[in-house]
Amino acid sequence: MEDYATSDDDFHYSSDQEDSVDAYENDDQDYALLSSKGPTTQVITKESLLAAQREDLRRVMDMLSVKEQHARTLLIFHRWDVEKLFAVYVDKGISFLFAEAGVSVDEHRESDSVASAVMCLICMEDVPSNELTRMDCGHGFCNSCWIEHFIVKINEGQSKRIRCMAHKCNSICDEAVVRTLLSRQHPDMAEKYERFLLESYIEDNKRVKWCPSTPHCGNAIRVDEDELCEVECSCGVQFCFKCLSEAHSPCSCLMWELWAKKCRDESETVNWITVHTKPCPKCHKPVEKNGGCNLVSCICGQAFCWLCGGATGREHTWSSIAGHSCGRYKEQEKTAERAKRDLYRYMHYHNRYKAHTDSFKIESKLKETIQGKVAISEEKDSTLRDYSWVNNGLSRLFRSRRVLSYSYAFAFYMFGDELFKDEMTEAQREIKQNLFEDQQQQLEANVEKLSKILEEPFETFSDDKVMEIRMQIINLSTVIDKLCQKMYECIENDLLGSLHHGIHSIAPYKSKGIERASELSVCWGNNVNDTEMLLSEKDYCIYAASVGVTAELDRPSGSGSSDDSGCSSRKRARKEGLGGGFFDLNLPAEFVDRN
Amino acid sequence: MLDFARVQKELVECSKDAEGSGIKVSPKSDNLVLLIGTIPGPVGTPYEGGIFQIDITLPDGYPFEPPKMQFKTKVCLFSSDHCLSELVAVMVWIFVWHPNISSQSGAICLDILKDQWSPALTLKTALLSVQALLSAPQPDDPQDAVVAQQYLKDYQTFVNTARYWTESFAKESTRGIEDKVQKLVEMGFPEAQVRSVLEAVGGDENLALERLL
Ligand SMILES: [Zn+2]
Ligand SMILES: [Zn+2]
Ligand SMILES: [Zn+2]
Ligand SMILES: [Zn+2]
Ligand SMILES: [Zn+2]
Ligand SMILES: [Zn+2]
Ligand SMILES: [Zn+2]
Repeated sequence: MEDYATSDDDFHYSSDQEDSVDAYENDDQDYALLSSKGPTTQVITKESLLAAQREDLRRVMDMLSVKEQHARTLLIFHRWDVEKLFAVYVDKGISFLFAEAGVSVDEHRESDSVASAVMCLICMEDVPSNELTRMDCGHGFCNSCWIEHFIVKINEGQSKRIRCMAHKCNSICDEAVVRTLLSRQHPDMAEKYERFLLESYIEDNKRVKWCPSTPHCGNAIRVDEDELCEVECSCGVQFCFKCLSEAHSPCSCLMWELWAKKCRDESETVNWITVHTKPCPKCHKPVEKNGGCNLVSCICGQAFCWLCGGATGREHTWSSIAGHSCGRYKEQEKTAERAKRDLYRYMHYHNRYKAHTDSFKIESKLKETIQGKVAISEEKDSTLRDYSWVNNGLSRLFRSRRVLSYSYAFAFYMFGDELFKDEMTEAQREIKQNLFEDQQQQLEANVEKLSKILEEPFETFSDDKVMEIRMQIINLSTVIDKLCQKMYECIENDLLGSLHHGIHSIAPYKSKGIERASELSVCWGNNVNDTEMLLSEKDYCIYAASVGVTAELDRPSGSGSSDDSGCSSRKRARKEGLGGGFFDLNLPAEFVDRN
Repeated sequence: MLDFARVQKELVECSKDAEGSGIKVSPKSDNLVLLIGTIPGPVGTPYEGGIFQIDITLPDGYPFEPPKMQFKTKVCLFSSDHCLSELVAVMVWIFVWHPNISSQSGAICLDILKDQWSPALTLKTALLSVQALLSAPQPDDPQDAVVAQQYLKDYQTFVNTARYWTESFAKESTRGIEDKVQKLVEMGFPEAQVRSVLEAVGGDENLALERLL
């Protein structure tokens, strides 16, 4: 895990090193285009959560000149979508914005000091006025009632929007008041409240999601552009950002969900068994029917009618059983036929899906073998020094195996009855299926070729022969990349794009594989060495900011001055250095773990 | 912890103007966790003339958590040969036919009993809201889809059914004590015992039955 994390930037798509390799290895302009944009996904760790949140808070605070707690209430209401919040502000004005989210900024702090005791309308007791707290909305109740209310709401998971206790008052309780009242007697609840507020940034934010790893790595991922994408967390888990299951393109999320479920319970097989066996009405053992008439008998001696499962006598003809009548023959037969056909169809796709998943697993072991071969080759007294083409070829193989494997699950649904039966005519479907299978087969053929070549014992070859293999691998990689790209385009434009319901969409093809989210981290000031910040200081920083205090620490000399935001978010200077493994991506998690 | 002091005060407050509002809350158990609320059916509705009983359960967090309220259900026991030990069927009837009240369980779909609850509300105000719900059903947020459909598509039938239910069930609970004694005796319980139990539970037929069983 540690090794993995430190080597992380070496594989970054946009890092100079890899770009130069690519420019040399693949004179494919698409690469440059695709990678030029840089990462649009970021890892938010426990430490950087606060910084990420503060960025947005500060924007709103500056723009609307409001207190932090009000900015947070507004942002939580708008699911941390700053742009949307500003749009509402521009469109409908500030009072609408505030009222809608339950922010009250009118001060109602008058005349309490006059009466010495006031009746709290919740507990119906008279309380001294100094034990009464008024919220911004003007409603006042006794402190112990407020505290009870906060505890109930926090335990209900409502920390983010604790409303005033008055009936029909939409106002959200002031964070600072909640903190002050809780911290005296219930520090544990105050802490819980703080945590919920922080985590709201992830839970109520459509652009941020927790990494789905188990055990959980503690990270969340933020995507800056399209939510429909596949990402890799710094813990190594790759997932579909939209549905949080494993990366599954070119399957749509729904297709993948159905497919994964199908593979899990092998429902077709179960169907087949239920169609081909029936429990004996006497001993309940499953009895199979193999041809013959509809009177079946169990080994226990019980005869029964195959069609309805009811116990009968033995006397019968081909078409009827004495003293028994039921009319289910035709229907039953049809169901059996269909179940059988469905099963065969499923098996066809599943076998191919599985074949690619399996060889993908076997090929993962290739890494070690190939590393050995490269080591031997580099020892050789040869003019050839650079063997990165081997690794690039291997990465291409892994990526395309994934695509192929998921493409079978895709085809199962695209051309089956389950999802799109009424979306296209039989003829249309046939045309589309031919189009798709054509591409799939081309891709498959090239992938197998690449797989074969990579297994060649090139470390024993002469330089000329190695150069020849090198060219083949580079060419095949380019072809495969193009074919994958084409397949995604075909799916998006010709297959899914022509459907009426837009619920199926796929994550775009990334030539470089699944994007690894870059790290977003907290640091002090401009000092690069601050990544070495002491943990205790960092904790204080988070704490101070979360309680709304400007962090002013007696910091060790020479470490710069803290700016007034306490923590500022800035991307950590990238760690330089080479080393570690040579795969960038697309390895299964278990493979990464082993290394 | 349940705020007993407040519940006590609420009960006192409520009984003060029970005559005026017709709304009553009385404890079903000594610990003040289970209560029974009574509301008269609003005038000018199919519920007019009915007396509706509502089972109230106070959660630990009351008044910071909403009370649980449910229209009281009527349990009919069908036994074979009048022998109660061989119970063959239990049927549950509820007294009120209304789009926001489950005709199966008596569960009430009312926002202030859920997320719109405020600790500043009381049992009495909650019961008043339930009463208001009887006057103004909200079929768009139904608890009982069948009733809601009928309300929207065939209003007259809805009114007739609601009235029929009120007539046959909600009024029955105000029957005289002798009727109840007779009914329980017919079910096979000794008369003396029936009378003492009925008295102990304040004439509530269902409670009496629960104790007798
Ligand atoms: Zn109070
Ligand atoms: Zn208020
Ligand atoms: Zn992770
Ligand atoms: Zn997905
Ligand atoms: Zn048998
Ligand atoms: Zn036969
Ligand atoms: Zn039969």
